[in-house]
Amino acid sequence: MIVVITGIGWVTVAGMGRGREHGSFAMIDGQLPKFDRKAAFEKPYQHFGRMDEYSKLGLAAIAFALKDAGLDEWEEKRDIGIIASTVYGCLSTDIKYYDTVIPEEGLLASPSLFAYTLPNCFLGEAAIRFGLTGASFVVNEQALSGLTSLRMAVDSIAWGESETMLAGVCDLGCPPNFVVPGRAVPGAVFFVIERNYNRKCSHYGELLLDKKGAIFFKGCEIEDLKELVRKCLSI
Amino acid sequence: MNDGKRENSELRTRFQEFGTQNSQLGIHNLEAATRNPRTGTQKQIWITDVATVTALGNNLQELWQRLLAGQTAIKPVTRFPVHNYNAHIAACIEDLKPLGGRSMVQILLDQLCNGMGPVPSDSLLITATTKAGIDSFERLRRGIGADSQDVLPSRIPDMISQKFGLACKAINISAACASSTIAIGCGAGLIASGRAETVLVCCVDLVTEFIFSGFSCLQALSPVPCQPFDRDRRGLTLGEGASALLLMSAERARQENRSFLGTILGWGVANDAAHITAPARDGCGLIQAIHQAFKKAGLQAEEIAAISAHGTGTVHNDLMELIAFREVFGRREVPIHSVKGAIGHTMGAAGGIEVALGLKTLAAKVVPPTVGYCNPEKGAEGVVSPEPEDMVGDYLLTTNSGFGGVNAAIILGRGSID
Repeated sequence: MIVVITGIGWVTVAGMGRGREHGSFAMIDGQLPKFDRKAAFEKPYQHFGRMDEYSKLGLAAIAFALKDAGLDEWEEKRDIGIIASTVYGCLSTDIKYYDTVIPEEGLLASPSLFAYTLPNCFLGEAAIRFGLTGASFVVNEQALSGLTSLRMAVDSIAWGESETMLAGVCDLGCPPNFVVPGRAVPGAVFFVIERNYNRKCSHYGELLLDKKGAIFFKGCEIEDLKELVRKCLSI
Repeated sequence: MNDGKRENSELRTRFQEFGTQNSQLGIHNLEAATRNPRTGTQKQIWITDVATVTALGNNLQELWQRLLAGQTAIKPVTRFPVHNYNAHIAACIEDLKPLGGRSMVQILLDQLCNGMGPVPSDSLLITATTKAGIDSFERLRRGIGADSQDVLPSRIPDMISQKFGLACKAINISAACASSTIAIGCGAGLIASGRAETVLVCCVDLVTEFIFSGFSCLQALSPVPCQPFDRDRRGLTLGEGASALLLMSAERARQENRSFLGTILGWGVANDAAHITAPARDGCGLIQAIHQAFKKAGLQAEEIAAISAHGTGTVHNDLMELIAFREVFGRREVPIHSVKGAIGHTMGAAGGIEVALGLKTLAAKVVPPTVGYCNPEKGAEGVVSPEPEDMVGDYLLTTNSGFGGVNAAIILGRGSID
């Protein structure tokens, strides 16, 4: 199955950006930059302020990717889906939520925090913000190559479920003082992939998924998402 | 239900637009992989083994018998204090408690896996859970010793891989209450695409204070056992459980002389793009998911014999489903049932348990009762029943919806009764 990559967006420790306006890209460990709504959305978007940090991270990267693909503006809902991989998911939000439950035996439990204690909720936020009605779900893995979500997104297109999909990773990393096995640097990266490339904007190249699940970009087998971003950006 | 009628009218317009869009998609690589089951050209996906553990039964046969008898496992919660919440009941598994530092989820999965027969070592594994060993997380946050290995959902595949000696890298699907439905669809897709011959799908979720307090503070819990599709329904009742299903290509299953319990004919996933914690009032995402499933199965709406609905007992979910089913099936009265009045809402495990029960439904040709249903919501008259009903037809639609606007649908076909 062959698709084309039409958009890339990211928020990493090294910075945030999108493919066609990139300064640099690096997926490294460290502290994520603080960002507010304006960093990802030109127009006011009141929902953003009440989201948890995990959701803001993922939604911002998705926003960058869609803008890069020229798909951020819409009037009618689109059949575009999102598949995201994560290791730690919304664990940070779980901690904040449960810390409202412990005192007073649940009397102070926060509904606004609980609403974000499922790792797929940020996909719902993206679906609402950008009118995306395709399949959306999260894949939990122990270490992120980022390719699982990409494979599943290509499969979704191959099944005819959507013509366009978003695929990527979103992780805040392991919360401080909470030792849980897993490996993921903080950050979010999303690709926009499309089957039928007939829109008037450039694309980064063709992605091939073979029957064994191997991913090839411009003829080279890809081992992880970071490598794919670098090849797309020719860096 | 004037709003419902107006919405249904709007829905018909949307449905026509969707149908036009679909016809433009053409033939694609994987769409050809499953076709009309009656032509014999389909790459069939069999379910060859199944197990469940729920509060209503330690195995699928017990669960089925007690469900048919109209029993419920919903009772007062004793596992943690509930006096500050707006409900005090759930369907918790008797005597399920942490052992040493291990999460209850490990104990539950042990029991589940013991109920399965041999699983080929080359099976891929997909699990589905929303909160995994959340009880261990709670103990850790309270400073009580617990195994942190149990906390992340990505650990569930490891636990099961070790039990069955599976070699392949495994993943967990997290999509709220549609997690296991999507996991089953992904597994079916891997087989239909030729990328796997056998896939084990395991689903699990627990009732713990974390979950219970959350649904309570969202005002989603019913103070009485949930009443799906009842006009007096007041919310959902939580439950816990696990399910395992072994999917195989028909060719592989025949080679190994496996049982033919049922077949997965079609599946679909779609998002409402409307609200984070409530379903779209017009059921748009569920309708889209159902039509995707029809398309893969090569079936028409009139061929569906019965529906296993998500049927949580909340005002909004059940109304949304009635609207969506009316839009898809028109005036045809397709029997609808929900099992959540019997076993509670098992969250990420719901779809897997309901597919397992769907196999029994098809085999017995009996639609189970909707426990808790008494006075019909408008639109449920004549289609939902508090009693078992005969099933006429060969195909069952099973649906689930969840937070984040996610909707998923699966179409099951009957297996062999041998």
